[in-house]
Parts: sequence; C-alpha cells; structure tokens
Amino acid sequence: MAPTSVPATAPPQGPAAAPGSAWSPDLTPSQPVYDGRLGELYAIYLRHLAMMLVTLGWSRFWGRTRIRRYVWNHLSVLGDRFEYRGRGIELMIGFLLALLLVAAWSGLMYLVWLYVFHEKPFATFGLFDLFSLSVVLIGFPLAYVGHYAGLRYKLSRTRWRGIRCGMAGSAWGYGAIATFLQFANAMTGYLLTPVVSVNLARPRIVNTRVGTQGFTFAGRAGDIYGRYLGYYFLNIVAWIAAAVATFMAIGGTIETLGFSSDDFLKLFAHPSLHTVVVVLLIAFAAYLVFGLLILPLRCWWQAYLLRYLVTHSRADNVLFATAISTWQMWGFLVLNYLIVLLTLGLGWPWVMHRTMKLIAGQLWIYGAPQGSEIRQPTDRGPGYGEGLLDMFDVSGV
Amino acid sequence: MAARYYDGVTADVQDVTLKVTSHELLINRSEDSALVARWPVAELVVLGDSHHEAVPPLALRGSEARLVVEDPAWRAQLVSLVPALKPLALEPVKVAPRLGTYSLAIVALVGLFWSAIEYGTEYAVPLLPYTLQAKLGETVLDGLLADKETCQGQAGLAAINRLANDLAREAGYRHEVTVHIVEGGPVNAFTLPGSILVFYSDLITQAKDSSQVAGVLAHEIGHVVHDHPIKGVARAYGIDLLFKVLTGGYSDILSTFGTGGGALLAMRNGRAFEREADATGVRLLEQRGLRADGVSTFFEQMIEKEPSDAASAAGIWSSHPPTRERIEATKRPPTGRPAFSAAEWQALRNVCK
Ligand SMILES: [Zn+2]
Repeated sequence: MAPTSVPATAPPQGPAAAPGSAWSPDLTPSQPVYDGRLGELYAIYLRHLAMMLVTLGWSRFWGRTRIRRYVWNHLSVLGDRFEYRGRGIELMIGFLLALLLVAAWSGLMYLVWLYVFHEKPFATFGLFDLFSLSVVLIGFPLAYVGHYAGLRYKLSRTRWRGIRCGMAGSAWGYGAIATFLQFANAMTGYLLTPVVSVNLARPRIVNTRVGTQGFTFAGRAGDIYGRYLGYYFLNIVAWIAAAVATFMAIGGTIETLGFSSDDFLKLFAHPSLHTVVVVLLIAFAAYLVFGLLILPLRCWWQAYLLRYLVTHSRADNVLFATAISTWQMWGFLVLNYLIVLLTLGLGWPWVMHRTMKLIAGQLWIYGAPQGSEIRQPTDRGPGYGEGLLDMFDVSGV
Repeated sequence: MAARYYDGVTADVQDVTLKVTSHELLINRSEDSALVARWPVAELVVLGDSHHEAVPPLALRGSEARLVVEDPAWRAQLVSLVPALKPLALEPVKVAPRLGTYSLAIVALVGLFWSAIEYGTEYAVPLLPYTLQAKLGETVLDGLLADKETCQGQAGLAAINRLANDLAREAGYRHEVTVHIVEGGPVNAFTLPGSILVFYSDLITQAKDSSQVAGVLAHEIGHVVHDHPIKGVARAYGIDLLFKVLTGGYSDILSTFGTGGGALLAMRNGRAFEREADATGVRLLEQRGLRADGVSTFFEQMIEKEPSDAASAAGIWSSHPPTRERIEATKRPPTGRPAFSAAEWQALRNVCK
C-alpha cells in the first residue's frame, strides 16, 4: 500500500493558475507524507551517540548517513518515497579535505606572521590574534559556500522515483552574493532584509533539480517590503517595551527582597538551592517578556516570508502552497531551539520528527509532474560531501 | 505481488506485478500484463535495510531502475522465495529494549571517558614528547609577550633562574626551567607548558621580602614538576571533546553551552592543581633548608590589601582555592636560610631598571 495522502483538512487557497493558459491544468492537491516513528529514530540516534563516544566522534559521518536514510525514506511525495544513497566515507573525505584547507590556511597565516609581523617594531599582535582574525574574515563567507555545497551534496544523493536530484549553480558565487548582501544589510540597519531573503532564496530554488526538471521562482522583494517595514517598526517598539518591563521587574525583585549588590555577589558565588530557584525565576520572567513580545513578532514575519517563498515557487506545472501560521513558526523556531537546549542535545531526534511532521502537515502540492518528461540527469554530483559545512558545525543532518 | 517500478530513465511510475521463477524476477505491467523487465535473481540488490528505510528499494546491480514493494507481507514473501533479499524485511526493531541498551551503554561510556580524562591525563601526559610541550609553551609565550615589555636585568634574571632550577632539581625534575619577567602588573605569576615561568615585576617590587618571591616561585615550580600546564590543556581538550560528542556535534549553541560547563570543570581541576602546587612548593623549600613561610605571608599581604578575598567570593567560579584555606595549609615558621642572597635579592629588585 502506498502512503497516499488523504487531505485531512481543506487545502489553503491555492496559487492561481497562470493567466492566459488555454487548457485548464490538473491542480489536484496533495501533501507529503511522513510515516517515521519517534522511537525508531531515537534508536538510530542513540546508537549513533554511543558509537561517537567509542570513536571519539569519528563515526559521525556514518551516523549522520543512517539518520538521513531513515528520514528520507519515510517521507513520500505523491506516494513515492525519497531515497538517500549517500555514504559515510564521502562525508569523511569531505571533512578531511576541509581540514587540509584549514591546515593550508594556518600555514599561510604562519608565514604572513613570520615575515610581516614577527619581531618588527610595529608588531602589536601575535600569531593567535592574526589567525583568529583571519578565520573570522574567511569563516563568514565560507559558511555560506559550505551551506550551498552541502545542499548540493545532499540533493545529489537523493532520489525520487529512481531519479537523482541535484543542484546547479556555483557555491562560491552564492557565497560571494550572500556575504555581500549580509554585509550591506548590516550596514543599513537591516532595512534590506526582504532583498536579502528573496535574493538568497532564488539561487537555491531555481538551481534545484529533480532529474532534468528545474524549479522557477517568481518572488520579488518589492512584494514583501510593506509587511517587512511593519515588522521592523513593531520590533523596535517591542524591544523598548521589553527592556522597560525587564528593568522594572528586576528592579522590583531586588528591592522587595532587600538585596544589596554585595549580597548579590555572595549569592552568585555560593549558590544555595534558594538562590538557584530565584535566579531561574528571574531568568524565566525575562524570557517570558522577551518571548511574549519579540519572538512572536519575529515568527510572524518568518511565517509570512516562508508562505511567500513557497507560493512563488513552481516546478513546471506543479505549484506549491503553505498556510504555515505564526504559531507553527514559533513551534519550529523557538520551541525546537528550547528542546535541543534544555535536553543538552538529546531532544534532537524529537525536533527532527516534529520538523518532518510540520513539513508533511503544512506543504501543499498542486498537480503532478509529467513523469515521462523528467529524465535522469547526466552528471552525478560531487564525489564527496559537506566538508566545509562540517567544519563550521552548522549542518544538522 | 504488486509493486511500483521506476525505470531509472524517466520519472514515470508503473504499477507492476512480480513473479519469481527459479532464476529470474519477472516484472509485468499490471494493466496489460506486458513484460516490463526480467531481472536475474543472482544480480538483485536491496538498497538499505528495513531498519533504516521504510521500504528498501530493490534494484538490479549497477542499474538505476528501482522496484518498490510497499506491502510488508509481500516483501516477506519475496524474502522467503529469495533469501538473499533478507534486508527487505528484517525482524522489526523492538524499540524499548534497544533504547534501554543504548542509554546504558552511553552512560557507561561517558563514565569511562570521564575517568580517562580524570586519571588518564595523569599517566598519558608525561609520555607526550617534551619538545612538543616546549613548542606549545613558546608559541603561547610569543603571543603573550608580543605587546609587553620584558625586564632584562642580567643579574636579577640569573638569580631567579638559579633558584627556580635549584628547586626543580630538588624535586627530581630533569628539564631546564626558564623564568621571564614582564614589566608591570598584576601581582601575579604563571606557568606555561615547556617549563616556562612568567613573573610580573609588580609581584617582586610589592613583596615585603625575598621569602615571598621565593614562596611564589616555589609554588610555580610545584606546577612545573607536576606537569600541571600540559595536564590542564589535555583535560580541557578532553572535556571539550566529550561535550561535543555527547551533543552529537549538532549545534553551535550547545557547544558554547558545553564550553561553559567545560570551563567550570577546568576550574575545579585548577583548584586541585593549586593545592598540589602549594604543598609541593613549601616542601621543596623546606627540603633545601630555606625559609618556607613566604607563600602564607604573601597571601596574608594579599588579603590585607583586598579583604573581600576574591577567590572565596568567586566560589565555584574561581580557579584558586579560598585564600584563607591556602594560608592555613602553607603556614610555616619564619626559620631557615634566605632563598636569595642579599646581592641576588638586590639585583632581582632592580631587574627592570
Ligand atoms: Zn598556581
């Protein structure tokens, strides 16, 4: 039995068919199905952790691969499951290559230090300063390059209906654009966020391939500027309100309990259970103020942005939509973060499970691709994977 | 047996029925029974296994075509006909016992890892080539001294290096100790891997007499002869690794969090190291018949200047034990020969001039 998707709820307002098309396209809605079980995922994850301890972390390439195999194959679109065919050794080779890159860079920095700064009268910083500064400078762009290359690796190892997926475009080009846009955004007080969001989403969407089938993206930053400016100014107001509320709350607590700053230091250094509870309560209150005002606002914007990006993407005659709400975005961004943090990482499979369920529940697909038109691609994708991504530790699965 | 067939050339899906003969798998289209493909049984491969994949695809070796049998009963039947396809339908995982086993294994491994860090460094670190330690120490020293003035008074440096090496030899230490003096404050001294000691000149100028400098020097030699600097590095690295591995290496935030915890543990190690260095320093001075009350009087002087006692106030966050506790532990009568001759002491006080 194929896990066919029976829409449990009514699909959201679908994207309108392209005007002027003479024939009426098939827009039957369907949803992805995720039928993984949390317990099974945990069994794989805990085995991975135990192996990590035995191998001092070197088994992570194989562990990650097993987890991906599980997650990919339990997700299906139009009744056809994804297949993950990556291998642990490919990830390890990618990691070792990235390690070589870093080693080469360290060597270069050592030479620069030796010939430019070492024992010179104007030398005011040491080798370590030079190295950490250079890592910050190249690390930022490289994180984007690594992100794109990692996406390419994962897609090239993903099959659907036996057809390999892939990612065209240049990771270095993406890294350059991303670095430039993020820098420009920071310089302008984050007023360019819609431009950055749309222009970083576009290369990732239009370069994605399922076999020979590409995707198109019709989003424009102008469409979302109105909402963003609203968010931008509400955000400023919320920060001010949160700061005032926090100050009043903390000031009030200290006064009512009659603490001096000296008592405070003493309590901090030798925490009794009582102090720990008080500190936790204050932290919780601060979080509450912050969480109530700032984070929902951010989730409101992020949910809007995601809805916009999804509905403006298409693959030939297949359209996409999502009605993801602010509250669901909160569960994705904030709750998931808290779960991982509070469980010291042990909640990670739970977060993965929740995320897959969210995708399955919130993504709508209109129409079906014409299978006979999509052909197996000729290229096989990169031979190894994710080295840079692994280096900067941002890859998740 | 019904299945889905992907030909590996296009993304077309065909509903097919399967028939197994003695040496072939016959794949027929469901709607008109037309033969789609015949796969030799000997060349069938299962991609993955049913513990990871929900439905492991069936393929012909080297081909991109796929067969997907969703129904577990049919997969089991296929396995009974062709035992080599076993990964298609493995015994289902009993989740609860497996979670229990792995959890126990993880707890045991963390314990093992922990003791390896706690006790292993004690034995493993001395095996580390000394040249490597020295190289590390020199690199750190270079970085530290890059923007500082060092004091170059020949006689003063000779005096403090003489006593340092006397004390180290007294402890049976085989390597040459080098003392550097940095101009200015704070009133402090520290030890780097490779038997490198760094004193700040404020400590020397603010000392009441030579026994205090000798006491602090003996304490630092205590660190040197117990290999504390390199043990500290090894433990910090081990704890960092443990945190990274335990959190699956999945999150920056977590490793930052872990580093905080790791730092706390390093501090705890630090307090044990300080107690050991205090005891060894005093013992070495006494063995050479030198005045050994310098450490405790130095601390008393510090506490007079700063009555709140920073180390005690910092509690669990401090790398040093509470000062009063250290004074009690190192209290000695003001007897014995002075550690520096009058001329040496004079030279040491003028080392920065
Ligand atoms: Zn010390």
